Amino acid sequence: MHEKEIAGKIGRKTGMKVDITRKRRMSVRTDSRGLREFCVCAKELGFGHLSAVSVTDFIGEGEYEILYFLWSYQDGLALTVKTRIGREEPSIDSVSDIWGEAQIHERELHELFGVEFVGNADLSELFLEGWNQTPPFRKDFDWREYVRSRYYRNEGRERGYFEVEK
Amino acid sequence: MTMRKEYDFLFGPAHPGSGNFSVMLKVDGERVVSARADPGYLHRGLEKMMEYRSPMQNSVLSDRVCVLEPLAWNLVHAEAVDEMTGADIPERARYLRVIMAELSRIQSHLIWYGGMSSGIGFDTGFRLAFGYRDYILEAFERITGGRVYPAGYICPGGVRKDMPDGMEAKILKVLGKAEKMRMLEKFGTPSLLSRMKGVGVLKSKDALMLGATGPVLRASGMKTDVRKDDPYEVYNKLDFEIPVLEDGDAYSRYVLGIREIEESIKIIRQSLKDIPEGRLKRIKPTFTKIPEGEAYIRNEAARGEACIHMVSNGGENPYRCKIRGPSLLHMIPVLEHLLKESQIADVPAIYWSLNPCPADMDR
Repeated sequence: MHEKEIAGKIGRKTGMKVDITRKRRMSVRTDSRGLREFCVCAKELGFGHLSAVSVTDFIGEGEYEILYFLWSYQDGLALTVKTRIGREEPSIDSVSDIWGEAQIHERELHELFGVEFVGNADLSELFLEGWNQTPPFRKDFDWREYVRSRYYRNEGRERGYFEVEK
Repeated sequence: MTMRKEYDFLFGPAHPGSGNFSVMLKVDGERVVSARADPGYLHRGLEKMMEYRSPMQNSVLSDRVCVLEPLAWNLVHAEAVDEMTGADIPERARYLRVIMAELSRIQSHLIWYGGMSSGIGFDTGFRLAFGYRDYILEAFERITGGRVYPAGYICPGGVRKDMPDGMEAKILKVLGKAEKMRMLEKFGTPSLLSRMKGVGVLKSKDALMLGATGPVLRASGMKTDVRKDDPYEVYNKLDFEIPVLEDGDAYSRYVLGIREIEESIKIIRQSLKDIPEGRLKRIKPTFTKIPEGEAYIRNEAARGEACIHMVSNGGENPYRCKIRGPSLLHMIPVLEHLLKESQIADVPAIYWSLNPCPADMDR
């Protein structure tokens, strides 16, 4: 099987255990300090396209999971690299010098989740304007309350919709 | 009078050539010195909104990820939920999904086409493209009930309902009309060529480094398509080509669009031939909770790679839903790169040749 061969190759080179989740999908979990080292190896092994970067906010565990979705054009395989950091003052090394496209993904996540990507040259605001509150995509940010207080100060018209409890 | 060398020039956000998006240009005379994209005019926080809604509600919401091709995003979302719930999708529904996704690709390419033509002052192309697109919208209305927004027609578990009777013949008729767009490739008049040839050249190496995908990457000479490399639905059973062009300029992207429409027509014709007989039963959600786990789905939308990463903790709503739209990369790093050292008059041509959608960039 093609996946097994590539997973073995990554395992031998980096010493990490690679899980094959389904056809053409693999995932690996790494320590946040060893992330850059792993990413350099992954790129050398053909994972030249960083499709996306994502953050999942596990508020119950007090952690952020940062995910890097890689794609190898030569082997036709996707590799997800997962790492965890603390969610209070989250900070992690940037991979923008390894994959150029990481720059914009990291800038987005810096704005929406407040993650500091050390080494990214431009983390200026992207979608929001003059935002000075909790980063809006964190689980502890109540956007319903925000919308209600910011846009519907005079009770009435839209009240019904925002009163719906889920 | 004091001489000023550089001026700020704001392209957008309510400019007819830019949509809900703007670029701040630094210009020296007619020459663009540097460009800085300014997104966010359509940021609705869709990823966060999805955390508060059930998959069937989210399938309607997924229309709004990209205004210009809602069905493609319906499909990505539905596949993510299907993978998590392990749903068994009827073969007929899979074919219907492909037919709708490809029709959606054609109409999206026609908008691309119309925008590109109007960007360079070629109004005939603009009117033709939007006119032909309307035939497809009429078919959408008959099948889904909505001309532009299908209200989550492709949903977890299959599609909301089967096609109405006699729709196959109607679709074939529409394809016959769409095929006429081929004549636009032959409109190589000197005025059109001078506006597009050699304008906004994206080299293959830069395209890969800046994260370009889909038609933008293929017009720069890279042969890749998620439908072939990472097939989903029934694409592995269908026979089609991936058009590739080498030059990487606006004209290559213009021509590539037409060739992709032809391939989509081929796919739909085959699907209509191969689709299993019978009628689909009305879809009923078979789950109330999404099983714990995660799914990562990649699709080839009209603009490039469209991905969703969904995480569930076993609740009714997804715990996290990451949407990766192709336009984020095309409209910020790629556009900023291409606009450097261009002319002001070429800005709309370059902008539209990247097949932009501010909605899927901002989400």
